[in-house]
Amino acid sequence: MVDTQKFAKNLPEQPSGDNALQPGSVLQNRYRITGVIGVGGMGSVYQARDLRFPNVQRHVAVKEMLNLTTDKSMRELTLRTFERESDMLAALSHPAVPEIYDYFSSKDRAYLVMEYINGRDLDAIINSMNDFLPVETVLQWALELCDVLGYLHNHQPEAIVFRDVKPSNIMIDQHGRLRLVDFGIAKTFQVGQKGTMIGTEGYSAPEQYRGEASPASDVYGVGATLHHILTRRDPRLEPPFTFAERPIRNINNRVSGEFDAIVMKALAFDAADRYTNAGMMKEAFEKLNKPVFSAFASQSTGEKAEDLSEWGTVEEGVKALWRFKCEDEVRSSPTVHKGVLYVGAYDNNLYAINTADGTFKWKHPADKSIVSSPAVADAENLILFGSVDQFLYALDARVGQVHWTAPTGGPVQSSPRVAHGHVFFGSDDGNLYAVRLSTGRVQWKWPAGAPVRSKPLVTDELIVVGMESGDVAALDLSGQMAWRFRAKRGVTSSPISHEGIVYFGSLDWQVYALDIARGWKVWTYRTNKAIISSPAIGDDKLFIGSVDGSLYALDLSSGKERWRYETENQITSSPAYANGVVYFGGIDGKVYAVEAKSGHLRWSFTTGGPIPSSPAVVDGVVYIGSMDHCIYALKA
Amino acid sequence: MDFLRRILGKPAPEQTQETISITKEPVEPPRPPEPVIVAPKAEESNHQKVNTVVVAPTDVTPTVFDTVELGGTRQLPPLEAIVPKPGQHLRVGHLSDVGMVRPNNQDSMFCLVGASASHENLPELGLFVVADGMGGHHDGEKASSIAARVVGQYVINEILLPLMSNQMNDPDRPALTEVLRAAVEKANEAVTEQIPEGGTTTTMAVVLGDLAYFAHVGDSRAYLISNDGIDQITRDHSLVQRLVELDQLTREEMIDHPQKNVLYRAIGQSDNLDVDTITRRLQPRTRLLLCSDGLWNLVADDTIKETVLHEPTPQDACNKLVKLANERGGPDNITVILVQVPG
Repeated sequence: MVDTQKFAKNLPEQPSGDNALQPGSVLQNRYRITGVIGVGGMGSVYQARDLRFPNVQRHVAVKEMLNLTTDKSMRELTLRTFERESDMLAALSHPAVPEIYDYFSSKDRAYLVMEYINGRDLDAIINSMNDFLPVETVLQWALELCDVLGYLHNHQPEAIVFRDVKPSNIMIDQHGRLRLVDFGIAKTFQVGQKGTMIGTEGYSAPEQYRGEASPASDVYGVGATLHHILTRRDPRLEPPFTFAERPIRNINNRVSGEFDAIVMKALAFDAADRYTNAGMMKEAFEKLNKPVFSAFASQSTGEKAEDLSEWGTVEEGVKALWRFKCEDEVRSSPTVHKGVLYVGAYDNNLYAINTADGTFKWKHPADKSIVSSPAVADAENLILFGSVDQFLYALDARVGQVHWTAPTGGPVQSSPRVAHGHVFFGSDDGNLYAVRLSTGRVQWKWPAGAPVRSKPLVTDELIVVGMESGDVAALDLSGQMAWRFRAKRGVTSSPISHEGIVYFGSLDWQVYALDIARGWKVWTYRTNKAIISSPAIGDDKLFIGSVDGSLYALDLSSGKERWRYETENQITSSPAYANGVVYFGGIDGKVYAVEAKSGHLRWSFTTGGPIPSSPAVVDGVVYIGSMDHCIYALKA
Repeated sequence: MDFLRRILGKPAPEQTQETISITKEPVEPPRPPEPVIVAPKAEESNHQKVNTVVVAPTDVTPTVFDTVELGGTRQLPPLEAIVPKPGQHLRVGHLSDVGMVRPNNQDSMFCLVGASASHENLPELGLFVVADGMGGHHDGEKASSIAARVVGQYVINEILLPLMSNQMNDPDRPALTEVLRAAVEKANEAVTEQIPEGGTTTTMAVVLGDLAYFAHVGDSRAYLISNDGIDQITRDHSLVQRLVELDQLTREEMIDHPQKNVLYRAIGQSDNLDVDTITRRLQPRTRLLLCSDGLWNLVADDTIKETVLHEPTPQDACNKLVKLANERGGPDNITVILVQVPG
């Protein structure tokens, strides 16, 4: 029995050097000590020769346990427990359980004599590998490990829980067979440790810290051990219970989705969510191990694999409530207000559509296409939108008639913002405009020095706007500049603010968080391509898409990536957050609904063309336009 | 409707009749105001310079605790504080105490506050660090001292000096959160190199105007306290905290758990340290509290809140909190920094 790792790692204090048996000493007139296998504070493990077999070299392992309890009756109790457990172990019969030959005790020590296993423990094996172990080897070990634990769990009259499944307690012997060592008898002799310590055990199930252990706790230990082997990431060096944050297949892509899923199920925090015992986990592994013969079987496993790789269940049949076909591509994002959806299209029209049934209400043509998203001025009953024809239009929301227009010197691609009785928008003529809603009169314009295509952010005190030059400026409401920040490339992404911080993306690939009062950088996060998408906020996260194809969820207050969801093409659509779900469109033509908490896909819906449009989510319905000319209303 | 006044800016002739254009004829406003870019305006309060700083004798009289004096780590001398007029500047109290049981104080702390009144509208600024060391043979106190000093030095170099030389808007400057993270990483390098057997927690707050930036490793804590409640900003990097987060342990079970002192992250543990960073807006009159576990292990959050809100000054509150922990046995070192936000 060789558990040197355990002794060396967990008990760094003074080894019992003074008391250790010297080679040559003989115990019980039978076991001559030939060497020390491991030393620890609780006692040592020795290699010994059994003198009853004088003509052959028969080696045994002798485990010595110091009885450190000072109280006399407690010492007695400890000893009785030791004897009872030794008896129980001796009665076990399984090829992976080392044989127990003998036990005895002296005044302050107890000894257990057992089969000497010639081999290496898994901890040593993992540490000596420069690459991942072959998945087939690991699968074989998983089967053998589950087999022996399953044997213990089925023990009558009651299940035996191993309690300490981890690589250093698992050996691969000289014949390549897996053996389970250290049946936790040492625990009986352990005394509590005091003082602040760094480092955790890494493989124990959460409930074991409540003093509870069941066969499902061993299942967790198997999961933790396999996760360590497959990823080569030592859980003792990671925050406890964070296996799910290191997805196996992200680290080792040779592992199949099915294998991954079995390990992750074993690692569920709640014991009830795991395999009930190791036997059931073994069954799952056996299914995986079975070669597939029939076409039917291969088809069914194939489907399953896809499900697992998509992170959980994908709801089929997301119902499109209705769709509305425009005369050309829809790149603008819809705005929904009081039962009416307003959206601009490449056919130059601004459409008003009834959200209840997708029926046409009115449309109004501009001279050129509409790529920005309309804004609603509720009190004035106006719909405002810009067009490539250089005008900002204010239409009567009821009938779609022009109330006024405001000319600029360039295409208006910036979406207008309505606030404080004014509409704020930028133009490719390099100005930011503030126009009175009631009159259409330009109150002021501010020379931005470069085209303004982002939608201005307006708070009670400030206007923050991004420019194609990469500048981001904050103006007070009279158009005086408060601060200016410069990104390395254009800022088309529209800033949003939350709790004193303003957030936006840039064509320089970065997401920026700035102190809104001063423009100082709070944090930045770099994606792998340009960012056109505007951020959305929810669940203490910032959501933003990148041309690199991923939708990112970043922690609002630190900028740390919480998760990312990869699509098949660019994301230029801005996400929308509602009720724990993030919705966005992809250039791959799909509308995605992703769980804000986990980043797991809830559903996706395929349209007939790329989707640069951003969704509007109102009352459980997602409205979004596609370059297939259609506006879709989907059940959220 | 103040914003209306501001939005209109300089008086512009109000049109008597609304211009309604149903054609696309550009309607030029009669006289669009010329956009003018000016330097940021100083806040109004800054014009009242006369009353800003009042030097007054301290109203702070730290209580002397009935603990055995042991070495030089007993407690700090009373503060000779400049007490600013309430409501305009950060006010700070702090105390680090050895407690009732330990022979030495392994906690360290660092405090720096800047107040200004000037046309340049410099923000209120503060730098606060609490570190709780661990390790035998004085390694604990050495580790925490190094950590507190190194993070302080780094933040002064990378934030406070650039701020004083007006370089904060330089787009190539690292983000503030990154500076704080790097500061803790520097401390980790220094401790790992100089005190290989020691470790320490580090919880730091940097206040710049109405934003507070935190960096954190270990189980010292930062709280924001107001009349609305007490909000723990940092997350303990302890095994038991993780179990509570996973609903595998109740808060009650956590208090007496045999492994409640097991941290999974601390300075001096490994080369690649994962530092938590947090940014929070400070509402007017909020209190920011940093403390070691010698306080929060013994004094319940509600009691901390009541004490902080009811004591007349931040220093009084610090003294009272340390006293409460000592009255409950003071088994560990106790370090408290309390900052009161103006407003």
